[in-house]
Amino acid sequence: MKYGYYPGCSLEGISAEYDESIRALFTHLNITIEDLPDWICCGTLAAPSLSRLLGLATPLWNVARAKQAGYDQLITPCSACLYHFKHAAKQVAEDPALRTNVETILELPLNSPPPTIHPLEFLIADSFESRVKQSVQRDLSDLKVVCYYGCHISRPASVMQFDDPENPQSMDRLMSWVGVQVMDWSRKVDCCGAHYSLIKPDIVVDLCTPLFESAMEAGADAIVVACPMCHANLDTRQETIAAKLGVPVKIPVLYFSQVLGYAMGLSSHALGLKRHIVDPLPLMLTKCMQAQKEIKELRN
Amino acid sequence: MSFRHDIESLSGQNVNLCFQCSKCSAGCPLADKMDLKPAQVMHHIRLSHEEAVLNSTAIWLCLGCETCSARCPQQVEPAAAMNAARVIALRKGIKPAVKEIGIYYRGFVDNMRLNGKIHDASVAGITQLLSGQLIASLPLAWKLLARGRVKPPPLPFGGGGFRKLYNAALEKEKT
Repeated sequence: MKYGYYPGCSLEGISAEYDESIRALFTHLNITIEDLPDWICCGTLAAPSLSRLLGLATPLWNVARAKQAGYDQLITPCSACLYHFKHAAKQVAEDPALRTNVETILELPLNSPPPTIHPLEFLIADSFESRVKQSVQRDLSDLKVVCYYGCHISRPASVMQFDDPENPQSMDRLMSWVGVQVMDWSRKVDCCGAHYSLIKPDIVVDLCTPLFESAMEAGADAIVVACPMCHANLDTRQETIAAKLGVPVKIPVLYFSQVLGYAMGLSSHALGLKRHIVDPLPLMLTKCMQAQKEIKELRN
Repeated sequence: MSFRHDIESLSGQNVNLCFQCSKCSAGCPLADKMDLKPAQVMHHIRLSHEEAVLNSTAIWLCLGCETCSARCPQQVEPAAAMNAARVIALRKGIKPAVKEIGIYYRGFVDNMRLNGKIHDASVAGITQLLSGQLIASLPLAWKLLARGRVKPPPLPFGGGGFRKLYNAALEKEKT
């Protein structure tokens, strides 16, 4: 199997640590991923708001190029990019006339393009379970997290066709494979406000405040995410949210790839753990050390 | 063609399937900030109330989280209808009822035309400058810069492929 990799624009900028941790994790697991040559932005909501054909041609250009490059799957860590790939592919699959139009614009065929897939979906395959479990080197059994999936990992089900759109479990399972304590909560698939961070930060604060309230109620030490926009919003708005709630809020927000990599013994530098606004390192070190101390005490 | 037909052909949706259960309005995270709620937008579309829809804040505030589409018992995608309404509004030269979002979408596509991909910090900076929020966002920008999460902008020589798509798509849309 040949795996292509589409980082997307955020992973080249504000979410550099997501890119670093995904690459480090895949290298550690001995999975070769190849960057899609000359990829372009997925167009997000901006391109389809301007023109339907542009909104379809932009994401599908990448998918058609992935087919040309001979990939069996295109791994896409940004769930917004992934949604636009899958949504565009579904629309042209259902409407042959539309497909012909898009093909003329692309000057590329769109027959049986390779599936685009989130790294979460890639890693949750049963074949990885024992491999992930066996690679664990750091004991994180003292770390309590809630998993936050946000909008597009499984929603809408008709497009994403992965996990449960209202109560997804894949990230919870993956975290439990490396021994992390996963707390249940009811805000897994609420929206964080996405790109409103740039336009209307007040709305982002409004939408994220209940997430932190619920995460604290669930007793979580950290929030685990799988989308660069969820991460940017949760990591950068905590001071304002604390002021609004009138209680201190300082909850590290980690990518699932960072938690997996850390459990597998990768360095905090390789995982980009120093790039967060809310520094997760003190938490990771204490949780890890506490567990080690307890093991020592038990042994004595 | 009526406004309803335009929305349907641009979104691939059959809006007449909507039976106004309002699950879309109930689940929408931004409904409390919209002038028309998603179910009301759908009803206006069915009645071809073009002006009400195209001048609403709702079609611009929708951020495509897809909660409405996921929960619709009739498998209609209100988010897709909102998107089609944005396309028609821009085509007709109607100014977005939420100014900042119009600025952001335009700036985003313009940035793509430079390089095929966007430089997130430039899009953020330009959007915030034009919507008068630049100064308020500087402290956060500084923190991100210090952590290596703001990259220098690339030279604008890589957007040829996207510009070609852009011109071809807009040309084809006219016909």
